Amino acid sequence: MIVWGMVLGGYPRSRLARYALRDAERGSIPYLELHKRIALASAEIIGAQKAAGLPVVVDGMVDWHDIFRPFIRSWRNVSVNGLLRYFDNNFFYRIPVFTGEPDIIEPVWPQRVREYSLLADPATLKVVLPGPLTLAKMSEHPGFRDEEIADLVANLLSREVSLVQEYGVYVQIDEPILSDRKATRDDATLAVDLASKILGPVSDRGIFAVYFDFPSKQVLEKLLEVKARYLMLDIEDSPARARENAVPLTGHVPVVGIVDGRRIHTDRLSDTTVSIVKALAEETDEVVVTTTTWMDLIPYRYALKKTSILGEIVRELASRVGGEVRTLWR
Amino acid sequence: MTYEVPRKFPTTVVGSYPKLPPAKEALRRLRKGLASEEEVRPLFEEAIKGVVEDQLWAGIDIISDGEQTREDMVVYFAERVKGYMPGEWVKIFDNVYFRKPIIYDRVEWTRPLTVQDWLTATRYSKGRPVKGILTGPYTMVEWSFDLYYKDRYEAIIALAREIRKEIEALVEAGAKYIQVDEPALSTRPWREEAEIAGEALKILFNGIEAKKIVHICFGRVEEILPYILDYPVDQFDLEFKNSNFRLLPYLKEYGYNKELGYGVIDVHNTQVESVEEILRDIERLMNLGILPPEKVYVDPDCGLKRLPRDVARMKLRNMAEAARIAREQW
Repeated sequence: MIVWGMVLGGYPRSRLARYALRDAERGSIPYLELHKRIALASAEIIGAQKAAGLPVVVDGMVDWHDIFRPFIRSWRNVSVNGLLRYFDNNFFYRIPVFTGEPDIIEPVWPQRVREYSLLADPATLKVVLPGPLTLAKMSEHPGFRDEEIADLVANLLSREVSLVQEYGVYVQIDEPILSDRKATRDDATLAVDLASKILGPVSDRGIFAVYFDFPSKQVLEKLLEVKARYLMLDIEDSPARARENAVPLTGHVPVVGIVDGRRIHTDRLSDTTVSIVKALAEETDEVVVTTTTWMDLIPYRYALKKTSILGEIVRELASRVGGEVRTLWR
Repeated sequence: MTYEVPRKFPTTVVGSYPKLPPAKEALRRLRKGLASEEEVRPLFEEAIKGVVEDQLWAGIDIISDGEQTREDMVVYFAERVKGYMPGEWVKIFDNVYFRKPIIYDRVEWTRPLTVQDWLTATRYSKGRPVKGILTGPYTMVEWSFDLYYKDRYEAIIALAREIRKEIEALVEAGAKYIQVDEPALSTRPWREEAEIAGEALKILFNGIEAKKIVHICFGRVEEILPYILDYPVDQFDLEFKNSNFRLLPYLKEYGYNKELGYGVIDVHNTQVESVEEILRDIERLMNLGILPPEKVYVDPDCGLKRLPRDVARMKLRNMAEAARIAREQW
């Protein structure tokens, strides 16, 4: 079995990035200076992942205030309203408000991919997109049903993908709403259909991610239909639930959230975790280890440490399952 | 001087109030290490006096010290409870952060933390009762990093035992109303979580001779409601206005019969609710026919700290006026 690792999503901001954004908000630095400083902060994050041997890296998305914001800012007929709690975190996102059918003013990812692919080389960059269902359910859209907004959003995200696919990037769709214990099979069906549409052209490098909790059996069953090679599940947030609901991810490579992205302790690979991984990976010869969630809600120093721990856990898991490590450097 | 709290629809506040200039200055000096707590105490006293005067002017029956000395509802206690150490910056929203504290050793209460502020407010309150207000153990743990305890349950129970000492100190000082804030409870609205918090509340309140209140807000309160109704408290203080009174039918469905802190003021919106609007919202509750006016405490959804002072004052003033009219009506 081949075992390799990647970080799931965004990083916290280093002091450099925090101050750059603050200075830009105050109008005391021009846009180009902000851009330069954010690029420097991102380079450090990409470097940390490469140093940990991760073959697929994220740019850290440190300039994003939340997962929705860069897209909302780049779309017509959408604005942001007040703050709302983001799942069970002590973190608040700004509620997107759709006032009409959204359309792209300027795509979010192509420019980033051009810049950060060079920094990432020889690792491959990963593009992360908000899941249409999560965005629909966490936004206001008077006059539209959730399904309608989700469908419109999926069309825009498909265009993002079409603009970056020539770069050979990995593309991840985040649908954390499907970890909600009230998520239904219908929710999962819609999310899977839309993600399959978006990831269609890149399905061999497509990742479908569900985190903050382990999904219910009925949701997980539906997730197996997604047209994405990689299926990410958070198994550390609630190991008991993961153990109870885990099934072989037939037709997919499991991407297992093991390194806790929301807490700062030094992660260890437990026997329980190994047994859950084995259950999920029963019908595959490849496993990807990742963080349970984005790491943007822990201090920067710990996120760098966790990146390194991720590399160590990849090696340990490979040894525990009798597998072979795939790292950036060999 | 004594003050008779109205029997019907007494008005109150959840706790925090916009930081008045002397408090801001005191916190700035403390943060920069320019002064000790003793040295800035006069500034805090001046701020608390101003907050009390605002509440008296508005006509609030049961007031607070406005939490003028608290930089943050978790950090304030964490910095003063042994076993915690200062954290590093973690994002709350946009480019705004808080220093998420870290539990690194057994937690231990060493001295009263809120009694001095409570006494100051009481000195200026012209006989009106002042609530003693504390952040609950569930929220303290959820919004801290824990590197010491085996699991969340153990940490929450340990903190409950220590926070109880603060409640005892407040009651000994003369507090007749004790409110424990547990906003994090609504973010994981599951039975097992409610049971942990309930156990902690038993530790906090067992045998305490005061009105016992729990404040919960901004989340899926309706989902956790059935699991918390048997908590050993006299009153739940809940947010209604911001969520458009979504919770009301559930009160009826679950046979709610405790006292209710009824949030009728949106603390995230600077638009001042009119007296008529607040009256209509009081009527919404009364028309359900589940609670007599003696069990309804009219208050804002949550703390007022994010509002401009003038707006906060006017919101409270209109709320008190609406309650006065409601007393004649019901």
